[in-house]
Amino acid sequence: MNGPLTGVRVLDFGLLTAGANTSAMLADLGADVIKIESGAYLDPFRVVGKMDDDEGWWNRSPQFRFTNRNKRGLALNLKDPEGQRVIRELAKHCDVVVENFRRGVLERAGLGYQALKEINPRIVFAAISSQGDTGPERMNVSFGSTLDATSGIASLTGYKGEEPRISGMDVNYPDQIVSLFATGIVITAVMEARRSGKGAFLDFSQREVASFTLGEEILAASADPSHSLAPRDNGTQQDAYCCRDGRWIAVAHDEPGLASWCADRNRDDAVAALLARGIAAAPCNDGNDLLNDRSLAGVTLVRDEHGGLVKGLPYRLDGKGITIERAAPDLGQHTDEVLRELLGYGDAELTKLKKSGVTSTTPTVGDV
Amino acid sequence: MTTESLPLRRFTIVEVNDAGVPLCLRLATSLAAKIAADLGADVLKIEPPGGDPVRQAPPLLPSGASALFQFLNTSKRSLVLDLGTESGRANLMQLLDRSHACLFEEPASIASLARAAKATPIEIAAFPAEMDAAARPVSELAIQALGGLMHMIGEPERKPLKLGGHQASCAAGLTAFTGLAAALAARDAGQRAPHVRVSLAEVMQWVNWKAASGAAATGVSPGREGKASEFQVMPCRDGHVAVVYTVTQWPATRTLIGDPRLNDEKFATRAGRRKNIAELYAIIAPWFTDKTRAEIQKTAQSKGVPFGPIFTPAELLETEQYVARGFLAKMTHPEIGKLLIPQLPVQWNGRSFAPRPAPSLERAELAA
Repeated sequence: MNGPLTGVRVLDFGLLTAGANTSAMLADLGADVIKIESGAYLDPFRVVGKMDDDEGWWNRSPQFRFTNRNKRGLALNLKDPEGQRVIRELAKHCDVVVENFRRGVLERAGLGYQALKEINPRIVFAAISSQGDTGPERMNVSFGSTLDATSGIASLTGYKGEEPRISGMDVNYPDQIVSLFATGIVITAVMEARRSGKGAFLDFSQREVASFTLGEEILAASADPSHSLAPRDNGTQQDAYCCRDGRWIAVAHDEPGLASWCADRNRDDAVAALLARGIAAAPCNDGNDLLNDRSLAGVTLVRDEHGGLVKGLPYRLDGKGITIERAAPDLGQHTDEVLRELLGYGDAELTKLKKSGVTSTTPTVGDV
Repeated sequence: MTTESLPLRRFTIVEVNDAGVPLCLRLATSLAAKIAADLGADVLKIEPPGGDPVRQAPPLLPSGASALFQFLNTSKRSLVLDLGTESGRANLMQLLDRSHACLFEEPASIASLARAAKATPIEIAAFPAEMDAAARPVSELAIQALGGLMHMIGEPERKPLKLGGHQASCAAGLTAFTGLAAALAARDAGQRAPHVRVSLAEVMQWVNWKAASGAAATGVSPGREGKASEFQVMPCRDGHVAVVYTVTQWPATRTLIGDPRLNDEKFATRAGRRKNIAELYAIIAPWFTDKTRAEIQKTAQSKGVPFGPIFTPAELLETEQYVARGFLAKMTHPEIGKLLIPQLPVQWNGRSFAPRPAPSLERAELAA
């Protein structure tokens, strides 16, 4: 595939969605993404999505497979000095690093930006963390909806007159949007590095990304301390209504009797009638609706070579989505292949790394 | 950073604001172009006579100016063109032939002109092309419904809720920025740049991928769980806190709350906690009532528990972390005065991208 990032290689320490999806979006644009995990530390999505306890369970998580398609996977122990040495060797052959470890983890392994810049000055290093790389809260722990709360989004979400709401564990909204922004910034820095030969340290705060989506509210509050938030709800003159079949629709319109009008009709009939009157209306789709409506799904969902459903593109390039060239890697699936190809390792070196436990294909951990 | 050292300074981008375009599309277009402008691109915003309708959109500042407009149009120049006239369109075509990229919306009257210009087209639409629905009425609420996000938020027996803010527009705007960056990188590398098309409906579904992934894995769609959810919002002395913890953080959470009833076998596993969630929350709720959000955050963080205090946009102005990182930039607008505005949520080699004030319509350059 020839894409805007063909020729760019990414050393991917990304985990869960925020990090791993940024690298996935770079892969979709043509970058060669090599994902680094280890037997002692798997991408938590391998464990969160555990389907069973049978051999190879760590390779079957839907969440992991959804996010990590089009990547090659290596397992190298970051805590082992020999593993660290191999990763530093790989970094010489890479253009981009993506990581979303807790702050300090890569520095302790001798793999932080300063160390990698010494051996590869053109490296673009994307550090994605919940609070950013500086400031008094840089070491704070956070998980998904923590940032709905601390970013301000929750304060604007909820039923009228009731408590604020978070997007919750099945959405974890702030985790989902960071890669949409971070990918564009990484591409911008790659353009600069191609031109100047100098890389960059890109410090992303997921909480700031989430607050950035409320820029106008922050701006309004700064200009007028008495500025009050609009009451929580679905907005003014628009709401969700229940139809005769028990399904909900959203309607950007408000007139007396609309609720009972909806209650007299099935969902699809109500939406069609409202749209015909020029009123924005839509079904409140669930996951099965999204799977079934292929034209609505566009290019956002695709199948890998095993027929498994995986994440597609959020946009179209020349009208098209992506084809999945590789399913998500099994743990350590491409360790030998990549070390031979990029570092010229032979059988003896690969066997030695395997015997000393630096490389592996099975986890040494259970739950995360 | 001085503008001379900004990373996108070499690029010229046109943002076309044609008349009669749904607001939710315009917000996405303007956000994408704003990010490029803050990064140094020369962004020319083409407004209709009378201006972009977002200039009147709430929330309003005490001066009467729109905070939404001020946030979404930083660092741009503005030019008024009547695209309903032949000379207006001719002017636009000349501008597009001198520019690298053009952002516009699908229902715009100039869409086919923009698609054929030398500038790479970045098109923002409501729906995927397959739906053939360019004229369909649309709104932020309708997109959050269609993409399945509303189905995920609220109580199962009550109406679904939208997530606060303009999240459908913002997620699409971030996506359009990344598409723009990919197109510029292709041009910069001497390749033909792809035509980028972003639809709000596809982006929303992409963001909400866990609904589709969950439905595909089990046949049952995830949905709003409300008071049956593992993550809930608890009232405390001065507001609310989101209770969030992972499986590995449960023992620390139990220790933090310190109620011996939590040691009961029925709460030992995730399945057990889900089954007995009402009882679990009844036990932990009193712990929150006499504590402030700050106390809760400090105590929880010291135990490694990611509880999230809920802040309003106004409270974010004084957040220690945001102040320390300088996330909110002081900006002096020639007509409005001093404002605090969120900067791009990234620091590049430790430096932020200070936005320049949005252009006023009175000072917009008139077409030749």
